Amino acid sequence: MSKAMAHRRLDHVAVAVFDLEAGEEVDVVFSEGGDPLRLRIQEDIPLGHKVALKDIQEGEVVVEYGEAIGRATAFIPAGGYVHVHNLKSLRWDFGGRR
Amino acid sequence: MRLTGYRRPNGRVGVRNHVVVLPVDDLSNKVAEGVAALIPGVVALTHPYGRLQFGEDLELTFRTLAGHGANPNVYGAVVIGIEPKWAERVASEIALTGKPVEAFAIEGQGDLRTIERASRVAYRLLQEASEQEREPVEIRELVLSIKCGESDPTLGLAGNPALGKVVDYLVGEGATVIFGETSELTGAEHLIAARCATPEVREAFLTTYRSYVQMIESKGVDLLGSQPTEGNIRGGLTTIEEKALGNIQKTGTSPIQKVLRPAEAVGPGEGLVFMDSSSAAAEMITLAVAGGSVLHFFTTGQGNVVGHPLVPVVKISPNPKTCEAMKEHIDVPLPDLLWGEISLDVAARRILEVFEQTVRGRLTAAELLGHREFVLTRLYPSA
Repeated sequence: MSKAMAHRRLDHVAVAVFDLEAGEEVDVVFSEGGDPLRLRIQEDIPLGHKVALKDIQEGEVVVEYGEAIGRATAFIPAGGYVHVHNLKSLRWDFGGRR
Repeated sequence: MRLTGYRRPNGRVGVRNHVVVLPVDDLSNKVAEGVAALIPGVVALTHPYGRLQFGEDLELTFRTLAGHGANPNVYGAVVIGIEPKWAERVASEIALTGKPVEAFAIEGQGDLRTIERASRVAYRLLQEASEQEREPVEIRELVLSIKCGESDPTLGLAGNPALGKVVDYLVGEGATVIFGETSELTGAEHLIAARCATPEVREAFLTTYRSYVQMIESKGVDLLGSQPTEGNIRGGLTTIEEKALGNIQKTGTSPIQKVLRPAEAVGPGEGLVFMDSSSAAAEMITLAVAGGSVLHFFTTGQGNVVGHPLVPVVKISPNPKTCEAMKEHIDVPLPDLLWGEISLDVAARRILEVFEQTVRGRLTAAELLGHREFVLTRLYPSA
């Protein structure tokens, strides 16, 4: 049984469908089909929260559903936890001016 | 699918059979509650507004109140106002449907006499309503609505795509399906615009969306502190774009045929339509019901408990923790869809089975628990 699911093959993040623990290996399946991706989880990630499918650089636009969902505010390794501490909206994005 | 419902004098079809008492202002709530206390079984739609409103804000309140009286889930209505003029205006709009409706004013009479006179009418309407019989109805005769709430990424992944399949099916069978949540399209508005059926609809949609964003920015603020909500963030949603992209999964793939103002009336056979509306659960459902929705599909991740006084709200959740901890609120649990154990088609069939039962009269979780949220949307302060 897969423990994480992503929408598109080119997405940068998947969603945990069970609580994930640091160090475990999971097979990520894709809604649009294709082979699962084997991934080592770097941090505890609760059900419903996101895990990085690849190394994401600081400042990189993060993709889910094949669309931009925000900008990384720090480097996120593959298998790392992606949430409000390292991902910000592109809307009302004033480049840190306020 | 074997559906039954109540056919009203104007031909519209409801799936419930209520008699409502509609106060047009805050001062009339006491009388409305008095009528509902004397005649148990009628529904009093109390609310805190209706005095010294003006312009489009007042028109929206009138449209919402009259829309509830006109909703096909309603057999007949009693309208109460402190003054006769506004009560009669709301009643006359409801009367256009051919339903029985009477208006009462409190001034010059007092609460007690008004409660007695209005209760005698409510008594008669409730008995007449009880004589109505269900008859076979078709999907193409229904106006329905959709919204998600207390969302989390399990909706974008599972619950909303399953509801999207249901919406595609119902629209294909000729139903009208209303979606809204203007603020929660932020980050996915280009995808909705691309699905508008004509350039005119696209222009109307983009004008509505942009004027909403301009309204936010004219206050010198943005939505980032409230969209996503604290509950969304706890559930794993990080940005408004991610929330919007998950949100629109439930609209399916049909073209968008119309753009409605808040609470604007819409009939069956119109396909998928967008209504400019708040993303707050009770406000959006109230506006959709005013527009004519007789049944609402509601997907939830973290566990929104909303209902409506007149319309069954069918709750769908793929989140296994929510389905376990809050099971009395969930009509269609879908954790097995999240885990990949069933297909989207199987999940959609399960939702449609509960839809069929609910249309035929089976009570939803929100009806059983007495969730009757009725919340007016205000556009600006009263005079």
